[in-house]
Amino acid sequence: MDFMATLPTILKAMTMGAVPLLLTSLGELFSERAGLVNIGLEGIMAIGAFVGFAVGKFTGNLWLGLLVGMAAGVLINMLYAFCTVTLCADQVVTGMAINIFAPAIALFGYNLFVGSNSVNATGSQMASIAIPGLSSIPFVGNAFFDQTLLAYLAFVLVPLVSYFFKHFRAGLSFRSVGENPHAAETLGIDVVRIKYVACIVCGALAAAGGAFLTLCYTPIYIDGIVMGRGFIALATVIFGRWSAVGILGASLLFGFFDGLNVALQAQFQAAPVMFFKMIPYVFTIIALVFFGSRHTGPKANGQPYYREER
Amino acid sequence: MAKKVLSMEEKNERRFMVLTPVISVLLALIVGAIIIGCLGKNPLVGYSAMLEGSLGSMAKISKTLERACPLVFTGLCAVFAYKCGVFNLGGEGQFIMGGCATAAVILGLGVDGPGALALGLLAGIVAGAIWGLLPGIMKIARGLNEMITTIMLNYVAMYFMEYIFKNAYSDQGLPKTIAIPQSARLPQVLGTHVGVIIAIAFGIFIWYVIFRTSFGFKIRAVGMNPIASRVNGFPVKRLVLLAFIISGAIAGLGGAIELLGKTPFRLADGFGSGFGFDGVAIALIAQLNPIGAIVVALLFGVLSTGGTMMQSVIGVPTAIVDIIRGLIIIFAVAGMASVRLPKIKAFLATWGARTNKAEANA
Repeated sequence: MDFMATLPTILKAMTMGAVPLLLTSLGELFSERAGLVNIGLEGIMAIGAFVGFAVGKFTGNLWLGLLVGMAAGVLINMLYAFCTVTLCADQVVTGMAINIFAPAIALFGYNLFVGSNSVNATGSQMASIAIPGLSSIPFVGNAFFDQTLLAYLAFVLVPLVSYFFKHFRAGLSFRSVGENPHAAETLGIDVVRIKYVACIVCGALAAAGGAFLTLCYTPIYIDGIVMGRGFIALATVIFGRWSAVGILGASLLFGFFDGLNVALQAQFQAAPVMFFKMIPYVFTIIALVFFGSRHTGPKANGQPYYREER
Repeated sequence: MAKKVLSMEEKNERRFMVLTPVISVLLALIVGAIIIGCLGKNPLVGYSAMLEGSLGSMAKISKTLERACPLVFTGLCAVFAYKCGVFNLGGEGQFIMGGCATAAVILGLGVDGPGALALGLLAGIVAGAIWGLLPGIMKIARGLNEMITTIMLNYVAMYFMEYIFKNAYSDQGLPKTIAIPQSARLPQVLGTHVGVIIAIAFGIFIWYVIFRTSFGFKIRAVGMNPIASRVNGFPVKRLVLLAFIISGAIAGLGGAIELLGKTPFRLADGFGSGFGFDGVAIALIAQLNPIGAIVVALLFGVLSTGGTMMQSVIGVPTAIVDIIRGLIIIFAVAGMASVRLPKIKAFLATWGARTNKAEANA
């Protein structure tokens, strides 16, 4: 294979694959910084993908689709928040419940929306905006500077989130809740409120990541469109060591594997392409095996917070 | 054996272990009915169509049982792993690999007869166990979160199966494997395949292992408190690894039985799809009780086969069944968590004491 010739294709597919991971894992970063491990990302993404698709198609306004999709993601994640924060349920179990419940709603909605009406099956896509000058840089120009606006927004979020967690009072409160909620409470931080806010942000961003799939990646919704990306996003957070910049790097890396898969499939159509399709999943595991262990996240991650407990 | 005397609190807890799932199912059905009602359809007609379609005749009952059979295995797979504190979400991958290995062994070696059947089942168990072992090793050696690795392996297994049915043992280039020869299939009993009986017997066996053997006790101890178990001298790492292997083997056996017992006796797209998460849901609703898992799997079977009938009678998409399932698990999770909350616990204790007194007075 002529590697240099396919490199732009790979890089283009890389950024396309990286954006949903980036959005979703930034959402998960908020959640985990507040001590909530949300493994329900897969489900929230499915909801975001479907609602974004359906509303975008129905109204013809893709941005409205994105917004309503994000609102739906927040709504679903409020279930998670209520169960884990207010009822102190096990976070993993609740996340799994979301993973089972949310795609079911999306599938039900899809059956109602499309069903016999196949006109609704294909939505429209956001146009990509090429930044003059920058987009003609060889190799990387097309990949990074010819994106949809949503993708640019996702990349712009990275420094903002990073700055928020390092320099903002609210960001520091988030981190203290994730490290030691009891100490945070004694400092006058409303732990429960912070956790709910984290869930709102997480739901919105994860749903935006899902909506990217139907609004920018492919113009259709199918059951299981998320294809494990919610779990890869979890790996992205671990691999990015719970920092926004790290997450950017990690999602580009995982996006690269996705891009490699796409490029190889295009290159060797006669070969058993299913082995190429395994690439993102296999390399996620390999990346975690070599670089993803022994780095624990926020200390109070995954533990329920009983306010009265001493 | 003298009957164990339970404290009031334990008695209450046991009552809620049974009550919560039952109430969750009822609530989910009610919410499902409201959704159906909102679509302008009659939920009662829908639910009776569901019962009619799943339990209306012998043939339908056996179809429901066959649908529930793989779910029993993936449910038990999840139960066994969670009892040891391992969150195995890879039931689907292990199930698929079991099916793949069975197909590869029988079709690859070109064998048939009961020997091939035994060989196929064995291959399924081994393949499932290996697919369970991989995340186990990664967890123990590198501390990786098994939830992520098992999900990734699910997709790898899914694409591997695609290779099996599209390339390796494809039926004249069609995207499905050659059918398993007649003589190597599971025998039929009472209109259904013998795998259903194996599944139920196996569930009782797993219950016995978990709750009545010292090995099961160790597994549970590790699940409840790994540090205390290590202090007690239990080989925690080995037990966790064993839990991964056994849980994978259970799912692998399920995959082998599904392939060898259920028409069309071949691998094709969609084989085992969704069974892993269904298994997780079953385990959670059943409060990690293997016998409960059989019951919940049967309920899921009724919902699935009945959902099709409901769709054709009142025209509500079958996905309503998925919503009902999702609601059951959410209600069950929220219910179990809320009865453990300090305030509600205290309230329930006084309420429980009152009813107990009333029972004593009566």
